[in-house]
Amino acid sequence: MESLDSSMNIETRRMELRGVIRLAGEVIAQYWPMRTFVHHNPLHSLEYLPFEEAVRRGNQFMGGNGYLPSHMYRAYLKSGRIQPRHLDGALSSLVQNKRVVCGSRPITHGEVLRTCLTEGLCTPVIEPLDSQLHDSSQGLIDHLATRLNSVMTFPDVQERVRAIAEGDEAALCRWLTLSHWCDDTLGTEIVQQINDQMIKWCEAYLDEAHATWTMPGREKGLYGAWKALAVHEWSSCGIVDSGKKISQLPDHPEDALLESMDALGIPAELRQDYLSLQLTALPGWAGFIKWRAEERDYPWQQAYPAGLVKFLAIRVWYARELVQQACKDYLDIDGRYEAVVAYMREYPDEYYLRRQRAAGRLPALYAEEVDRLSHRKGQSWNNILTRYRAEVIPRLQAAVRRGAARRLLALARSLNIEAPVLIETAPADLKQVVDWMEAFPELDHGPVWLKALEAGYQEQLLGQLRARTENAAPSETARPYSQSVYCIDVRSEPFRRHLESVGHHETYGFAGFFAAFIRYRALGKAHDTEQFPVIMRAKNEVWEIPRSYGDQTVSLHAARAKWVHAGHTLLHDLKENVVTPYVMVESLGWFYGLPIFGKTLVPVLYQRLTAWLRRLFVPSLATTLTIDKLALRETAEMLETEQHAVIRRALHEQLGLRSSRITSALVEGLRQRALTVETGQETQIAAGEIERAGLTPETLNALVETLRRQYDLTARSASRHKERLTRTGFTLEEQVLTVDTALRMMGLTKNFARLVLFCAHGSTSDNNPFESALDCGACGGNEGNPNARVLAMMANSQKVREQLAKVGIDIPSDTHFLAGQMDTTTDVVRLFDLEDAPPTHRADIARLQEDLKEASAFTSQERCMRFPDIQQGVTETDAVTHVRKRSTDWSQVRPEWGLSNNTSFLIARRELTKGLDLEGRVFLHSYDYREDPSNRLLEVILTGPQVVAQWINMEHYFSAVDNDVYGSGSKIYHNVVGRLGIMSGPWSDLRLGLARQTVMNGDVPYHEPMRLLTIVAAPRERIDKLIARHHDVLKHFYHNEWVHLVALEPEEGILYRYRPTGEWVRIDAVTGS
Amino acid sequence: MTDAVIISLLLPAVPIIGAMLGFLVWSQPEKLKIWSVVVTVLSLLSVIGMSGRLTGATVGPLLLYLLPLTAGASLLGAPAHQQHRLSWVLTLLFLGLGLGILTSQQIVGQIAVMVLLGLITFFLYWYHNPLWPRSWWGICVYGLGSLSSGLATIASPPVSAMASLLVCAVLLPLLPLHQGYVSALTRLPGSLPAFIVLLLPAIGLHSLITVIPTVPDVATSTITIVALIGALYGSIKALAQSRVRLLLGYGSLSFFSIFWWFAAVSRTITPQALVFLAALAVVTSGLLMSWQVVRTRYGDDVDPQAIIGLVKKMPQFTVLFSLLALAAMGLPPFGVFTGFIGMLLTTALTSFVALLVMMIAWLAASWYILDMVQRLLFGRERSDLRYEDLRRSELASLLVILLIVIALGIAPSSLFGITQPPSNAEAVKEAVSWNR
Repeated sequence: MESLDSSMNIETRRMELRGVIRLAGEVIAQYWPMRTFVHHNPLHSLEYLPFEEAVRRGNQFMGGNGYLPSHMYRAYLKSGRIQPRHLDGALSSLVQNKRVVCGSRPITHGEVLRTCLTEGLCTPVIEPLDSQLHDSSQGLIDHLATRLNSVMTFPDVQERVRAIAEGDEAALCRWLTLSHWCDDTLGTEIVQQINDQMIKWCEAYLDEAHATWTMPGREKGLYGAWKALAVHEWSSCGIVDSGKKISQLPDHPEDALLESMDALGIPAELRQDYLSLQLTALPGWAGFIKWRAEERDYPWQQAYPAGLVKFLAIRVWYARELVQQACKDYLDIDGRYEAVVAYMREYPDEYYLRRQRAAGRLPALYAEEVDRLSHRKGQSWNNILTRYRAEVIPRLQAAVRRGAARRLLALARSLNIEAPVLIETAPADLKQVVDWMEAFPELDHGPVWLKALEAGYQEQLLGQLRARTENAAPSETARPYSQSVYCIDVRSEPFRRHLESVGHHETYGFAGFFAAFIRYRALGKAHDTEQFPVIMRAKNEVWEIPRSYGDQTVSLHAARAKWVHAGHTLLHDLKENVVTPYVMVESLGWFYGLPIFGKTLVPVLYQRLTAWLRRLFVPSLATTLTIDKLALRETAEMLETEQHAVIRRALHEQLGLRSSRITSALVEGLRQRALTVETGQETQIAAGEIERAGLTPETLNALVETLRRQYDLTARSASRHKERLTRTGFTLEEQVLTVDTALRMMGLTKNFARLVLFCAHGSTSDNNPFESALDCGACGGNEGNPNARVLAMMANSQKVREQLAKVGIDIPSDTHFLAGQMDTTTDVVRLFDLEDAPPTHRADIARLQEDLKEASAFTSQERCMRFPDIQQGVTETDAVTHVRKRSTDWSQVRPEWGLSNNTSFLIARRELTKGLDLEGRVFLHSYDYREDPSNRLLEVILTGPQVVAQWINMEHYFSAVDNDVYGSGSKIYHNVVGRLGIMSGPWSDLRLGLARQTVMNGDVPYHEPMRLLTIVAAPRERIDKLIARHHDVLKHFYHNEWVHLVALEPEEGILYRYRPTGEWVRIDAVTGS
Repeated sequence: MTDAVIISLLLPAVPIIGAMLGFLVWSQPEKLKIWSVVVTVLSLLSVIGMSGRLTGATVGPLLLYLLPLTAGASLLGAPAHQQHRLSWVLTLLFLGLGLGILTSQQIVGQIAVMVLLGLITFFLYWYHNPLWPRSWWGICVYGLGSLSSGLATIASPPVSAMASLLVCAVLLPLLPLHQGYVSALTRLPGSLPAFIVLLLPAIGLHSLITVIPTVPDVATSTITIVALIGALYGSIKALAQSRVRLLLGYGSLSFFSIFWWFAAVSRTITPQALVFLAALAVVTSGLLMSWQVVRTRYGDDVDPQAIIGLVKKMPQFTVLFSLLALAAMGLPPFGVFTGFIGMLLTTALTSFVALLVMMIAWLAASWYILDMVQRLLFGRERSDLRYEDLRRSELASLLVILLIVIALGIAPSSLFGITQPPSNAEAVKEAVSWNR
């Protein structure tokens, strides 16, 4: 009974721990593998907090800045991008009605704050103890500092020491791990040591077929594999007897983690924060593990399970051992929470000096002395502090006064106050001004600057829209040449504008997955791609198949593709083998010179040449998609064919049989036996077949067993596979629902043109691990053409049209739906499935293609103007050549700007924005509230596409404001790791976010970091209802100020701003506020 | 009086009188600094003008040129701040003494060495801080050096020869008498360390040229072993330092020990060895000046660990500092490399251990110097540090040093000929013949 209680108790503790870890993991964002890069908010888990508070938390946990450095905002102010009135508006809530008089000149609190912002007066600067750099104002500064002498008071050192010790005690395990504490106090590098270990193990364990030699024992799980290997390390991080200690760890990671936390003495109420801190030490790797742990169907996760519990069990073990070692060595105390707290209380002087030393704040001689005493205790520490108090503190205080004087002088200059007047001002007034400045530290400037920056842009955009509503052009009723639907992606906006300008084409915006939630397998690929936003799930699968299996080209294509694959594999194996590279370099090395020179010197030509050779060797195939559900018979046939192929492979691999000796009857017999053996009714195989193959009954039985075990050929797996095959395609009802939803959401329900193009988007770049970041976010970071093809095929189906007509969408018989894909790097639009277009539409298609080409050239020309390496205007032809070259240049770190500079999400009819130059900064989603009486479509848009847009916006925002922490740094140092992400250099955390070159133009941001502005052309009460209904998503967005919401009242044509308090405020037409 | 005597009086007189006159503008730091620089220029001109008529300078004209050049550069790079005034006057005074020692007759020179070491001892005591008890070692070592110099003046051989050797080991640091050198680099004020890092080894070399041929075999064997140990010791100590001046002190000790090893093995000083020593001293001086640039901005007491991320905001400093660091690591085309390779090529290297030790010292130097450069220049910029790139005078001073080190690296070493005093050496040899 006792053991039962004990095991229940253990299980309860494990469950509790898992719960704590789940909560602790909230502070880190999930990290998707880079091949399906998903833009996301790095502080997504903190969206339940107001934006400013979340930013503060991000700073505390990860050390990331949530706003641009002030000098960049000041540069915006200088350039006119931020208007002074917007700055005043943003500052107004902080200004107090106070003033001091300087001579005859009153100085208001507001003026001081404003000058702090514009002149950077509150930038914390360490004033040197002995200023030696010649300064022409030194005399004035010294004079002012002397005047401040009487009014500036400083707390006693002892008080300060006590306050620091108390503050750190309160922060311990909340904002400061014990490892950090050791580093900050003893000058150790425990956090770095642990990070190095964790990077090493995570890199090896999480590898996805990138490493040639993989980590052994990965099937045991992250913790098990680590335990099995780390035990053999000679001396892990210098931990004494590390092997022995690791071997004695419990088998369950939960137990190991609990044991380590008990050893560190982490109080129960602090465990969640403590574990959060441990996770944020490596947010990249931890974020990826968090993602993987939640993706149970992910093949790598199934094969080699990883989770945050396991990650933390390893990490905290290192922390426990290293903290213990450091505390014993330096302080002769236990490496436990309560021992550390007791040390800070009992020896505050020593603690203070050690901390100052580790932070580099002690004069060099004192630093030496602290180093000398670092392993001792006792009176010597008090002696140093006494000397420090006598020698250094007065100099420190003088330096602080000089700093204050310097700031006062800068303030006076900015306010045009003469220096003598300032010097004559009463010291108390001077002190008051200094206090105002100190009460407005630079940390508080970010929100003010951000609001001012946003206000400027919003005023301009809303002004454009207001002008358009006031002078609305009558909507055209004539049938357009074509209608085309583009992804809401900001890159579609210029293209749409240019296409509309070259002919009578109508365009629409819709999330690029086109309401087709599909899992897609391209021809010849072994894995599916998930073609929908990551916040959704798919029910249907679609395969790309050849249009005709009877065609000779199919077998030729398959055979040649196989050869190419074999060639690649061979080269790869030769490169990665232990011995062969030595020979290979000599014999084949020169061959690699061709691509190196080709790609470097003539990238476009090289790309054309290789594409031509590829086409020549592997002929392209006309393909279609499996849109309709398979019939039962077809499913069975498909399954049978696949199983036959497996058996043939097994016969070849296991018994070395050549194709000529493998008969269909033998294969079928084996299949039957493998599938029915479980039921006990063995299928007999004709003796002649067995004999012809040269097999014995024993061999046959063994092979059947192998087929079941190794090749997974069992009745159960067959059933599973069959069930999966039945998910292929859509039923008629599903197709009707998909097309109906899509057309209604985009507002395309009448006046159909002869051609309707669903235009997805993808990109082309070389040597770019972030390639998928340029693809369609709504399609899970993949190219969107499968979705466009699916929707076009469905919409062209006569049966679907008949059903749609019954629900009020009458598609004319001469309307044909086309699928296309825009390459956002080259702006070229490629059309798909033209074989299905009726001959009557050839002229229409030709005209559309011409106009698309023209629009492409205009778009390229416009985009070229934004590249920093193009100084002057370019012609359309040059622009086309230039963008093409960028897409093939393997040294190009910025093939395109991607979604950079996105700012807003506009949910409205195209009439509102048609002809407006929105500079490729706005997500445009077509929506007509009149088509949505139930509010259902708006609900979908706000909770789907808007969320995606907000993720994209926040990814760019944080990558721009602090690229080192929230972004991924410079591409120059990127190294692909494990085929799942990138590291900076050979050894780093998995880098989050976007590369520096994606958001920055040199040292200044190309992407202006602002929060998303959502503008909805719909009645306010409808929006209110949705906000009330979706409190978790929309309330967090709008009430916590992650997203700004503006409604355009369709009937009144008036703009209203949604306040965090839930009120609507009319936006003033003049001030824009 | 002969020309040589007049010259040996005139050359030191220029800076010494300059130092005296400097007190006239003592209350105006900027003027005093300008005056000091002018005096070093005058001194350099006087050296250039009279170098053809010098007969007493055994080390040839190279060091005579380098002394005022380095003194001028160190003064130029110093901030015009009142707390540096004494260091400027002392620089001029020491320059005068140095020129006097290098150009005068033996006895006068030895008296001058005694005065110089006595002054350094005094100022080490003056700037002694209880938090830095090791400076007592320095005071003792220089005191010993001063006494030894006096002894060498009054005693007869072989005592005078051994006393001279001891003085050489104090001036041109050799284990275990290196503490004086390290203390002087660490404790002396302002721009002075950047000058004496050349001055003291130069005077040491000057004496060594005379002494080394006369040293008994047993002594040279001992020096060989001590020098190798010193090279290792200096490297290890440099690796363990966090303070820049200590790191440079121990690092240069390691390289000076290599020089000692070479001198002991070959029992002569070749022009290549002279280039090595001069380049090493000048480049160390340059690095000390670079560190002075940092101290000027962040205070004399700044902890190097607190200074990071200079690369973006101080590009000129970064370039010059990096080049000097490369020179100090012994990379071509700088003088340290040329001198070292020249030394190796002119020596019959018979000891594998010696080669190994030199390799270790060399590799260690690339470790600790690069580490220092990396720590100061790279890392995340600190928002609370006020960054300001080199001012014109600082830029000029570092450029001068860099050009000197390049010139030493690329100029033919035959230009830097050394005058061996055979008669004197023979006399001393005869005097110590009892030892054989």
